[in-house]
Amino acid sequence: MSSNMLSIGLSGLMSTQTALDTTSHNIANASTPGYSRQNVVMEELAPRRTIGGYQGSGVNVTSIKRSYDEFVSAQVRTANSSKNQWDSYSTLAEQVNNLFANSTTGLSTNLQSITSAFQAVANTPTLTSVRQVLLSKADSLVNQLRAYDDRLNGLNTEINSKVKTEAIAITGLASSIANMNEKIANLTVRGVAVPNDLMDQRSRYIDELSSHINVAVVQQDDGQMNIAIGNGYSLVTGTQASRMVAQAGDYVPGDFRLALIPDGGAAALDVTNGVQGGTLGGLLSFRDNLVATAKNNLGQVAVGVASVLNEQQHKGFDLDAQFGTDLFSVGGVSVFDNKNNTGTGSVTVTRSDTAALTNKNYLLTKTSSGWMLQDGESGNVVTTTGTGTSLDPFVADGLSIEVTAGAATGDKFLIRPTYDAVATMAVELTDPRKIAAAAAIVGSANSSNAGTGTISQGVVDDATNASLLTTVTIQFTDSTHYSTDGGLTTQAYTSGDPISMNGWHVEISGAPSAGDVFTVQSNSTGLGDYRNALLMSQSLDQAYFDGGKVSINDTVNNWVAGLGVDTNQAQSNLAVQNAIYDDTYKTQQGISGVNLDEEAANLVRYQQAYAAMSKVIAIANENFSTLMQAFS
Amino acid sequence: MRISTSLMHDSAVSSMSQQQAMLSKTQIEVSSGLKVQEPSDDPVAAVAILRLQQAKASYDQFGTNIDFANVQLGQEDQVLGEVTNLVQRVSQFAIQANNDTLTDQDRQSMVVELTEINKQLLSLANTEDSNGVYLFSGFTVGVQPFSRDSSNAVVYSGSSPVRNVQITSAQDMSIGNSGDDVFMSIPEGNGTFVLGATATNTGTGVMTGAVQDITNWVPDNYTLTFTTPTDWQITDGSAPPNTVSSGTGYVSGTTIQFNGVSVTLNGDPAAGDSFTINASGTENVFSTIDQFIAELSSSHTTTSQRAMFQNNINKVLQQLTQAESNMLRVRASVGARMSTLENVEAIRQDEVYANAKAMSKLRDVDYADAVSRLSQQTLGLQAAQQSYIKIAQLSMFNYL
Repeated sequence: MSSNMLSIGLSGLMSTQTALDTTSHNIANASTPGYSRQNVVMEELAPRRTIGGYQGSGVNVTSIKRSYDEFVSAQVRTANSSKNQWDSYSTLAEQVNNLFANSTTGLSTNLQSITSAFQAVANTPTLTSVRQVLLSKADSLVNQLRAYDDRLNGLNTEINSKVKTEAIAITGLASSIANMNEKIANLTVRGVAVPNDLMDQRSRYIDELSSHINVAVVQQDDGQMNIAIGNGYSLVTGTQASRMVAQAGDYVPGDFRLALIPDGGAAALDVTNGVQGGTLGGLLSFRDNLVATAKNNLGQVAVGVASVLNEQQHKGFDLDAQFGTDLFSVGGVSVFDNKNNTGTGSVTVTRSDTAALTNKNYLLTKTSSGWMLQDGESGNVVTTTGTGTSLDPFVADGLSIEVTAGAATGDKFLIRPTYDAVATMAVELTDPRKIAAAAAIVGSANSSNAGTGTISQGVVDDATNASLLTTVTIQFTDSTHYSTDGGLTTQAYTSGDPISMNGWHVEISGAPSAGDVFTVQSNSTGLGDYRNALLMSQSLDQAYFDGGKVSINDTVNNWVAGLGVDTNQAQSNLAVQNAIYDDTYKTQQGISGVNLDEEAANLVRYQQAYAAMSKVIAIANENFSTLMQAFS
Repeated sequence: MRISTSLMHDSAVSSMSQQQAMLSKTQIEVSSGLKVQEPSDDPVAAVAILRLQQAKASYDQFGTNIDFANVQLGQEDQVLGEVTNLVQRVSQFAIQANNDTLTDQDRQSMVVELTEINKQLLSLANTEDSNGVYLFSGFTVGVQPFSRDSSNAVVYSGSSPVRNVQITSAQDMSIGNSGDDVFMSIPEGNGTFVLGATATNTGTGVMTGAVQDITNWVPDNYTLTFTTPTDWQITDGSAPPNTVSSGTGYVSGTTIQFNGVSVTLNGDPAAGDSFTINASGTENVFSTIDQFIAELSSSHTTTSQRAMFQNNINKVLQQLTQAESNMLRVRASVGARMSTLENVEAIRQDEVYANAKAMSKLRDVDYADAVSRLSQQTLGLQAAQQSYIKIAQLSMFNYL
């Protein structure tokens, strides 16, 4: 009797002790990240058959269970991946955003000040001091563009080195998970006991992995977990972990690509395009989209500014009556061979029409039947004209592409039209006299003209026309007709209509009389002329890019707006993902987290039970003593 | 629902740090006065601000240009005023000289003063602006625009086009006039024709003329010749000349009309005397004064010389009137431009104001709103802190 009572008491005492231990463990780990609350599962022991029927024989701890829901944890990991992706993306985007948009130092401010400097030259073309100011403004514009470019290059380098670190971290976590898989498989007594704390530790590794990249987890029967990343690339299979490595890019070695090398040394698998989520996903999408686009945009603006102003320079005369020369120089189009190319062909690309340039990169591929040009981002095929020879190059989107023989089918080339334009941008003029403030031609009326006709000062349209500077007289045969020497004969006259010849145009208006003569000639003596400088000051506001629709100033504005929208979007995505993460994490903590009040109550409960059980043993002992005394 | 104790602490901390972030953003807004700090704060407003800034830079530039144009035109106006005074002084001399009572002495002193005036005019025509650029040289630089050549005639070596400045996004304005326009291209005679007497005339004919019907005028160089003291014919400039008109029975005061103009002759021309009625060309004001001086210096003792003097002084007078009206025309155009500048400047000021207003609306903090937000957020943060302290103290372990 009392031995039964004693054994029941003992079983209770031991079970309660386990419960107290587990509660203490819970309390001890209340703040341990990734800890899952543990519960003691108690069960009554098998009854004994007695005369009166089956009699209970105490309690037993069957298992210590971990409060854990794999489904909720998967949700937390997905949210964690997205959160970290947008966190890394928006942190980087904010840096770029602030760089370009500062209202006192931004690009737009510098473009405005160069415009004003040209106006000042137009107002007083002969003053060397204002010309010098213009050159220094041109210098600051170039310096600013190059500083931006440097910053973007710096970001790119920084991102690439982070990508490398990420790969190392992912490899480390993969091997830790595989390691834990092995331990857990060894320690699991199927259906009886699982090493809860090791499982928590593994979960923690997987959680951490999810902050680097998105993960998919498949639970195996033996308690092991297989991990896939990205678009389903296997990272951990049971006890086997792949290594993630950062490899040299296909075109630009410094732009790392990521590859998985399976345990056992099979060939590396390029997984770059499948990487999603996590810090790594954020870094890669920032590098390949925002940085690349920002550099292309910057280059496009630089090329635009340089060609618009250079072109106008060529149409004017400097203070020595010489045609203006280039104000700016910019870097050319860069072409990169794919490292896997097998042929010997080479590709040369030049800008043939800067106004048609885009902010994209292109991919040129040798196909079995010829060549194919694709938009580097979307992969859409870009239609080209021409045959690719030096006399008849492929022409598309403002580029002129020349290919040489020897390329093998499948060979690929990356074309970056403006990406590298800023790095070597420079101001070509050092002598302020070389600014072509004067137009190369000038129209004038003969002082003996009897009519009231007036001639405009004239505009140079084509500086390459060989006869540009040839003196042309426009003589009115009667009040409604005119002829020019060496060109137009007996043209009907309409007041204010442009008369175009030899690469210039002028307008005659008013009522000229028969015999009136107007002359258009080289402006070699008119170096106090302002016209070309004024045109240059207006050129950045003239429609230019996108088929003559968007001015350079607007291009900058649109691009800053785009950056703002992009950053804003990243920030609001981050906010949304943070909220989702917080929500799922709360749910997860509701299941697995430790509530100290609950544990305190448990402590009290188990303490009371322990006291009660001790009493049971004491009474059993008393009973036994009483019995013993009866015999003494 | 179970609340994990550590989550309770975590979320209290994270909500406090969120509130702090919001508070700090509001604080920056209040201290900088700017609502849009970065384009990402409000991309649409950020671009609008950029555009407004660009517009403002243009307006500022136009303002500078307008000031510059005002200075240039003001200086030109002042110079033209002085030129007009001098030309008027010369006209007064011409009117005096037209009076027969002048002595040779008077003429001599007139010549001295006129020579001085002509020099002054030349130096005014060569005025430089504050940047050391000639006011009336057009595009030409480094060369004095007006000078006397080897035959002592004034030549203009500037250009006729002049500099413009941009005063609005769509409007340029000339900030000067070419010397050609001001001093050189002054219409001859009455602007349609100019009369002249042949130097070898021996009679005393003095001719005046007027336009009757400009539509019948055929510009050409006509010659009125007296074949006898009473018979005349008018021939045109062709070779050989065609007779345009002829008549007989001339007496002093006869008016002859042809091709839409009329000329009146007084006095008695001799047979063989001729007069010219030439289509107007242009003459420069310096040359007019030179002619006046030459005329004053010539001798006019005989009646025919006096008639010649009369004819020539008439011409000079007419020419001086033309010069005055030319100065007046130029000054009127300068004045019109300055008043345009005034209007444009007024509009520009309005635009600058509207721009600043729009910019302020987009960019500037509404202080009432921001400050109330600031105190609201401060209150929120305080409440979070206090409630956290309270809740954190709640634990069953306190009672065990």
